[in-house]
Amino acid sequence: MSSAAGEAAVLVRAGVYHDSVALMRVSRALSDLPGMDVALVAMATELNLAMARDLGFTPPPAGPADLLVALRGRDVAAAERELDRLLAALSSAPGSSSYGMAGAEGPAPRTTRSAAARAGEDAGVALVSVPGEHVLPEAVDAIEAGLDVMIFSDGVPVRQEVLLKRLAAERGVLVMGPDCGTAVIAGVGLGFANVLRPGPVGVVAASGTGAQQVTSLLDLAGAGVSHVLGVGGRDLSREVGGLSAVRALRLLDEDPATELIVLVSKPPDPEAARAVQEVVESLRTPVVPALTGRDDLTEAAERALRTLGAPVPVWPSWPAPARRSPKPGAVKGLYAGGTLCAEAAAIVAARPGAEPGAFVAAGPGAEPGARHGSGSGEFVDFGDDAYTRGRPHPMIDPALRLDALARVGPDEVALLDVVLGHGADPDPAASLAPAVARCPAAAVVVALVGTEGDPQGLHRQAAAFREAGASVFVSNAQAARYARDLR
Amino acid sequence: MTVGTRARRPHVHATGAASTAVRPLLDAPRRAARVLAAFPAGAYLQVRTDREPSVIALLAPGATRLPNAVLLAGEPPRLTVGHEASVGDGAVRLGRLSLRASRWWDPAPPLGEADPAGLREAAAGLTPGEPALAGEPAVELLASGCASGRLLDVLTAAERLVGLGPGLTPSGDDVLAGLMVTLRLLGAATGAGRAVWLADWLAATVTYDARTRTTPLSATLLHCAALGQASPEVAAVLRALAGRGPVEPALRRLHGLGHTSGSDLAQGIGIGVRSVLAFCSQGSPSSSGDYT
Amino acid sequence: MTLLSGPPRVVTAGVDLLREALDAQAVPTTPVDWRPPLPGTAGALARVLADPRRRAANARAVDRLTSSRPLLVSVRRASELLDLPQPMFLHAGPPLDWERASGPMRGALIGAMLLEGYALDEEDARARLESGAVRLEPCHHHRTVGPMAGVVSPSMWMFEVRDDVHGGVAYCSLNEGLGRVLRYGAFGPEVLDRLGWMDHVLGPVLSAAVELAGPIDLRALAAQALQMGDELHNRNRAATSLLLRELAPYVVNAAPGHAAEVLRFVGGNDHFFLNPVMAAAKVSADAARDVPGSSLVVAMARNGTDFGVQVSGLGDRWFTGPAGVPDGLYLGAYGPADANPDIGDSTITETAGLGGFAMAAAPAIVRFVGGDVADAVAATRSMYEITLAEHPAYQIPALGFRGTPVGIDLTLVARTGLLPVVNTGIAGRVAGTGQVGAGLVSPPVEAFTSALRALAESALDPFDQ
Repeated sequence: MSSAAGEAAVLVRAGVYHDSVALMRVSRALSDLPGMDVALVAMATELNLAMARDLGFTPPPAGPADLLVALRGRDVAAAERELDRLLAALSSAPGSSSYGMAGAEGPAPRTTRSAAARAGEDAGVALVSVPGEHVLPEAVDAIEAGLDVMIFSDGVPVRQEVLLKRLAAERGVLVMGPDCGTAVIAGVGLGFANVLRPGPVGVVAASGTGAQQVTSLLDLAGAGVSHVLGVGGRDLSREVGGLSAVRALRLLDEDPATELIVLVSKPPDPEAARAVQEVVESLRTPVVPALTGRDDLTEAAERALRTLGAPVPVWPSWPAPARRSPKPGAVKGLYAGGTLCAEAAAIVAARPGAEPGAFVAAGPGAEPGARHGSGSGEFVDFGDDAYTRGRPHPMIDPALRLDALARVGPDEVALLDVVLGHGADPDPAASLAPAVARCPAAAVVVALVGTEGDPQGLHRQAAAFREAGASVFVSNAQAARYARDLR
Repeated sequence: MTVGTRARRPHVHATGAASTAVRPLLDAPRRAARVLAAFPAGAYLQVRTDREPSVIALLAPGATRLPNAVLLAGEPPRLTVGHEASVGDGAVRLGRLSLRASRWWDPAPPLGEADPAGLREAAAGLTPGEPALAGEPAVELLASGCASGRLLDVLTAAERLVGLGPGLTPSGDDVLAGLMVTLRLLGAATGAGRAVWLADWLAATVTYDARTRTTPLSATLLHCAALGQASPEVAAVLRALAGRGPVEPALRRLHGLGHTSGSDLAQGIGIGVRSVLAFCSQGSPSSSGDYT
Repeated sequence: MTLLSGPPRVVTAGVDLLREALDAQAVPTTPVDWRPPLPGTAGALARVLADPRRRAANARAVDRLTSSRPLLVSVRRASELLDLPQPMFLHAGPPLDWERASGPMRGALIGAMLLEGYALDEEDARARLESGAVRLEPCHHHRTVGPMAGVVSPSMWMFEVRDDVHGGVAYCSLNEGLGRVLRYGAFGPEVLDRLGWMDHVLGPVLSAAVELAGPIDLRALAAQALQMGDELHNRNRAATSLLLRELAPYVVNAAPGHAAEVLRFVGGNDHFFLNPVMAAAKVSADAARDVPGSSLVVAMARNGTDFGVQVSGLGDRWFTGPAGVPDGLYLGAYGPADANPDIGDSTITETAGLGGFAMAAAPAIVRFVGGDVADAVAATRSMYEITLAEHPAYQIPALGFRGTPVGIDLTLVARTGLLPVVNTGIAGRVAGTGQVGAGLVSPPVEAFTSALRALAESALDPFDQ
């Protein structure tokens, strides 16, 4: 590593725990101090210890329950003081009151079991986002307390997923996830979710960003959404067999607010598909499937609108001319949403004259950052586990995509998704729009997924990307076609 | 209040959960408003418009949710009566505070289908609370009119009840609100078309001159009720009556509202349920015209 | 409420950002202050929690623990009640030999040798014990518990406690009082004299009095005492008084000539009730033993060297770690350097939802065990995090008569890293010193983690069904 000027310190605080996103904020705040070169504040996992070593530090022995702090810069002492202040602020935040700070209610509950007991009859849902290897106990607690549970975390073994879903079936509750990014219950957004108007469409989704695309388009068209029930990306696999999808479909069928169900999924395993199809046929509520890879999500939203008897609008878009002519079909997809990535990759691959398979979509199992011969599309899903291990999701932390944008070739078209809503970056354009403006690509196309009601504001975000020279589409499919066909 | 301050903007941003009943006010171009009433758990804002709804309730999370409410994510701002404000272009603005909806909730959630026999059974659990207008002749006229099907009696009683009673939400208005919501939602749920038809008549009568007959807040609430919009406590009782949960706990929570508001609303619900059941047993709702 | 009937309250565990997003939507949340489990336990936790027997097993085990009704039915000699082939002594805690025994344990064993006439003097006693001539077995292996060194020899008088609901039985010796006593490892002439008096006077009188009185409901006495400021481990003043009130007339009837000295002895020893309540806790905890798949802790005990736990689903196996030195207040000129590592079976009270778990009931002794009333309340509250139930009979007035936390679950200990709060007396390090203080002690983590791993090895695979 570079021989940085100034002092360096590496220390371990035993038994101090904070979640990775909170610590990322602390690291960033410390890095922003004047004269700071490196500030790494993270739990001392193997990964983070290795990162510290890569940065030229020699961390003392520590385990994942300890806090690792590595600092290098002009005034390390000042950084440590600031660290103490930030950590103290985290600890005094609601919900993180520690053992010694018992208030009238007593110390904050330490497990989902005791939190559910404290919440009493009111409690409806547990939202679990602890690291994957620690999910099972919290989820079991929720199910045994009779709560429906959304598991935001990824990295949960599939056997545990099946076990949880079987337990849930016995207890009559729903398990959403693992790796469920999105749910909306009676307007309440859990995880990454858009601000949607209430209405007649219920969504069962094995894909979070897929559900966000469909519901955002429905909202733009004036059709409301009753609930979005995520089931996790593996639910419709052979191992899991659609256990949660089946339950979610039945719940929506019984829900008086839901008049139409949209089922968003990758093409399911045939056996799971049969199980789901059987249930679909037994429902009173019509079901519109949106199987990515077969239908595009925009078409699915349009079909839902037609089924409701609602008009299909022209989806807002703001195309901008290319800066120069790109090599035909040379699209570089830089995605945060896996389903959106797969959808765009499929559309670009369907370019008339393109050889089949002339693109790479890095998804589960694919080589991260895999490249393919020039002149064809190349898609990277930065939300994939391979990129999110040990760092926040790209919908929260733009760093990886900012780097990638700077490296797009001058004869390529950069295509990226920007997903708005609760949980996502509060102002994605603030970091991404300047990178779009500086991007060396022949053209930049943005698929902007969100609603006007979202905290970030669809139109405010669209305007920022337009000003940076990008073409902006609210339909990912339309964005992909536009990028593919640019001349 | 959850606020995020931004260095370059003078506004303090806040968010809340808004009833879709007030979405027309929020989505419209910005209009002037003023604080009509302020209390520890929130405030009522009156918007300068000649349409309804015209009053928005800004309420702390623990407060009773009115159908025209925005539930604040945090403590309510300190306001005084007469405080100038504006509503529209997606936000409520009060001085430096800018409040936006971070989610929407439906004050008239559909009940689904309900079976009249089940409704009759559930209605047995509708114990009366202590309504302020117990024994009031206009209420008795309203009840007998609804039960026996005399439209003239119903509308005459309704005319007398609008604005009857003290306070920001007079008891007469609460009875009418409970009745209208019940006729509309349970009427639709049981397929009693004439209950919905009666709700339409009542809505037209009650909202016609509500603005001059009762308080501004109550006029807005009557307008909401005319569309089937109510507080979640009322919706929960109706959901229970429609066979989607136990009646007793829902009714207990409703009776707990306000001074007598909960019991007054429950009185209206009771009248409505008896009316819906009467329509159901009369059979086909095909010819509403013979209801005189 | 059903999932879709309206906006839900959300229990959140994990990334704070997601809870903040709910706050911004004015959605009520109950956040979990989640932290990673004890290092190296994630895999074992998953296997134990996945065991299809666990939920029902724990429900059954903790129900048996809390529904037991311990009655004091008799006072008899150990030689009558227990299978004690000569020469054999029982001792506190997990199994131990002379070589590893600490000062106070050795002192108590020497005292017992002298008391029973197995040795001529201290030297002789040491030599015989060293040679292994006397068999040593844990009290717990004989349905018995003993405070501190817990040494039981054949001539000692024992409380016999029966569980009226589940039919079990458990024993505990008579309490000698404070100061220089055998259970703290003292064996001087005054100790042996007192034991002699207990042998000839106290035992027979109590035996006759209990027989006249008929069974005494210890659970009812303990429940009342909790409302009178006892936590029934380090404070037994109220309970002792209640027992004395029950027994006094019968003591007078049984032995008018000795009544005054017996009542004076019992009344002068605030810890007299500790021994019967330990037997009561033992008989309750034993009712919860041997439920396959259960992660309930059924015994915690220390022998002055090791701290051991036993688990319902793991039979009679002990899982141990080094006993810690208590943190507390010291008598007179004694200090931490004089303290022996933790010792005694009295942690059976914590196992059954009393003692440290009921600290909030005993504001009078919070300073003695370190801290103030708020700490005591916090200690009890934190124990709800690691227990399966709230005791139906043992209630804490200061917590709105909430039942005490009861039924330690290994998985909850591993998940929260919260170890059982134990109140204890502190024995002097050197044999013969006696009590030097009292305080709080933390059990060793490895006793719980090794038990969890063993339970994981015996767990059923839910997919093998």
